Amino acid sequence: MKLLTKLTLTSTLSKIATVILFIVLLPFLINRVAFQSTNGLLKQQAKKVMDNIRNNGIDYYLQGDSTYGSYTLLKEEYISLEKARNIYNEDTIQTAQRIIEGDTVMYRVLNQAFEYNNQLYELEIGKTIASISQYNSPLQKIALYVLGILIILTLLIELSFTRILLRPLQTIIQTKLINPVFPFKEAPLPIPTTTVDFKYLDASLISLMNRIKEDFDREREFTSNASHELMTPIGILQTKMENLMLLNDLEEPALEKIMEMMKTLNRLKKIVHSLLLISRIENDQYARQDSIQPEKMINEIIEELQHRLEDRNIRMFVSLQPNIILHRLNHDLLFQLFYNLINNAIRYNKENGSIDISDDIAPDGSYTVFIKDRGIGIEAADIETIFNRFRKKNAIEGEGYGLGLAIVKSIADYHGIKLKVDSQVGMTTTVSVNFGKSSSL
Amino acid sequence: MKVLIIEDERGMALEMEDFLIKAGYLCDLAFTAKQARQYMEEGPYDFILLDLGLPDKDGLQVLEEAKQICQEASYIILTARGKLEDRIKGLDLGADDYLPKPFSLLELQSRMQAISRRKSGLKDNLVSLGDFTINFSNRIALFEDTDVGLSKKEFDLLSYMVLNKNRPLTRMQLSEHIWGSFSDDDYDSNYIDVHIKNIRKKMTEYGPVDWLQTIRGIGYKIKL
Repeated sequence: MKLLTKLTLTSTLSKIATVILFIVLLPFLINRVAFQSTNGLLKQQAKKVMDNIRNNGIDYYLQGDSTYGSYTLLKEEYISLEKARNIYNEDTIQTAQRIIEGDTVMYRVLNQAFEYNNQLYELEIGKTIASISQYNSPLQKIALYVLGILIILTLLIELSFTRILLRPLQTIIQTKLINPVFPFKEAPLPIPTTTVDFKYLDASLISLMNRIKEDFDREREFTSNASHELMTPIGILQTKMENLMLLNDLEEPALEKIMEMMKTLNRLKKIVHSLLLISRIENDQYARQDSIQPEKMINEIIEELQHRLEDRNIRMFVSLQPNIILHRLNHDLLFQLFYNLINNAIRYNKENGSIDISDDIAPDGSYTVFIKDRGIGIEAADIETIFNRFRKKNAIEGEGYGLGLAIVKSIADYHGIKLKVDSQVGMTTTVSVNFGKSSSL
Repeated sequence: MKVLIIEDERGMALEMEDFLIKAGYLCDLAFTAKQARQYMEEGPYDFILLDLGLPDKDGLQVLEEAKQICQEASYIILTARGKLEDRIKGLDLGADDYLPKPFSLLELQSRMQAISRRKSGLKDNLVSLGDFTINFSNRIALFEDTDVGLSKKEFDLLSYMVLNKNRPLTRMQLSEHIWGSFSDDDYDSNYIDVHIKNIRKKMTEYGPVDWLQTIRGIGYKIKL
């Protein structure tokens, strides 16, 4: 998941959690606040009554009677004052039922006992529960609306700000990780940002990329120099031997010795050649701009190898689709890849054996060529290592220098081609060359 | 035929000179671009063999300048650097051929002869071989006026031996000429024998082929 998505989700989810918590707590809180403010109100009213009694005497209310009672028109509030028995009650505020003119109503009731002229009195002031809670619901509604608006507003601000904050990271990913194709042709440029972390990340990536580019250039230079340094002495030796061979007065044993030397030199030449080829492939010195027709190319190779097939009486069955064209490849390297594979299929075949070459387009559009020989096969344990350099398995004395398949592997990797080897010892070996979707058709 | 060899590796240059003189060419040697320039200003050459890795100047630049001075000469680029772009640039600049080092002197001479044939513009390029005639233009071997019916590879082999007549040629040298870098010594020399056998068989039907000699344990030679 992208960082931006994660941040968006976190932010949204935390807001939703806040809203839910608020909705759950709100009635309880509002109720509590309403009751507390009612309690305060009742206490204030009681205090007022007491002030009146202190200033005007108890008859201000009682007017000679033993009790006093009064309530508002809708019985929302009431007050009663009466002589109390001699039990002195503590002041209390509680929710209680009262029956007034036949109506049973729930009240919040304040009881206060006091003494006046050696007489105990009890004052009771009540307020209906209904009148206490009358504002609860509209209050809750308004609170919810306000909260909703605030949440949406902060969410929008947060999201757009996160987006702006993360933009440099997006740019770094795009320009440093996704866009650049190895080898890097241009030096990477720093991206503008004020966030120190991104600056650090960007600078680190740039220095890494520069280092890779330097190594790569050095390697390229080295390959070129190594090629020169190795090929020149080989070339001098070869020409010297050739001239030596042309001397008129040579005996046959001398000629044979020279020929053996030339053979050995030739072997050295091929090893150096193969190593340089692998090095150049890995160093990206081949353009991948050719389109090839596998059917045509493979038939060309078979023609080239015809004498080897005839020599060992190996039959070749080719069934390839003629209209396939693969793009963005290097013709010479692909030729070499198929050449080495088919050559191996001949080399490790049996006398009078056979080779089948076929192809297939998978439902996902990827194109695969199969080269199947009925030869000596490869042990399962060895399949993984056959593409390693200088691996010489099942080779007849003097045959092969263990680089043919290493070259195949390098070429395949260079083009994003997948190789697969299936083999049954003594029966068959099938090499599949899968071009994937990108270069197909 | 006059050849200028521009090559900074003395060992290499001397071997090339040795070989080409024996093959009947007149040779001058230049080890630096500066020396090469002096030689080129002095006289016309039929061939200029140019190593790209000279110590005092970039080889491709030397080629560009040389083309101004010796316009008639044929140019063959020799290089051990193996840079692919060198080959393309070299041919773009008007080189006639390109030989990556290490190369065989026999191959060098056969390329030179191919260039000469191409440039001489002769309609029929004929060489006689005993009672036979080799036509390099049409790539056929004739007995009187009859095509003896050699295959493409057989003709390649025979013509290469004709170009290198009187020289012992190993199977390896022959297979390298025919299959180039794809040749496999232990593997293809057998097939050279098969080819030679076929050539002998096809040609013997018309006339004697005693000029085609087997050198036991080595290879073959055309003796004329």
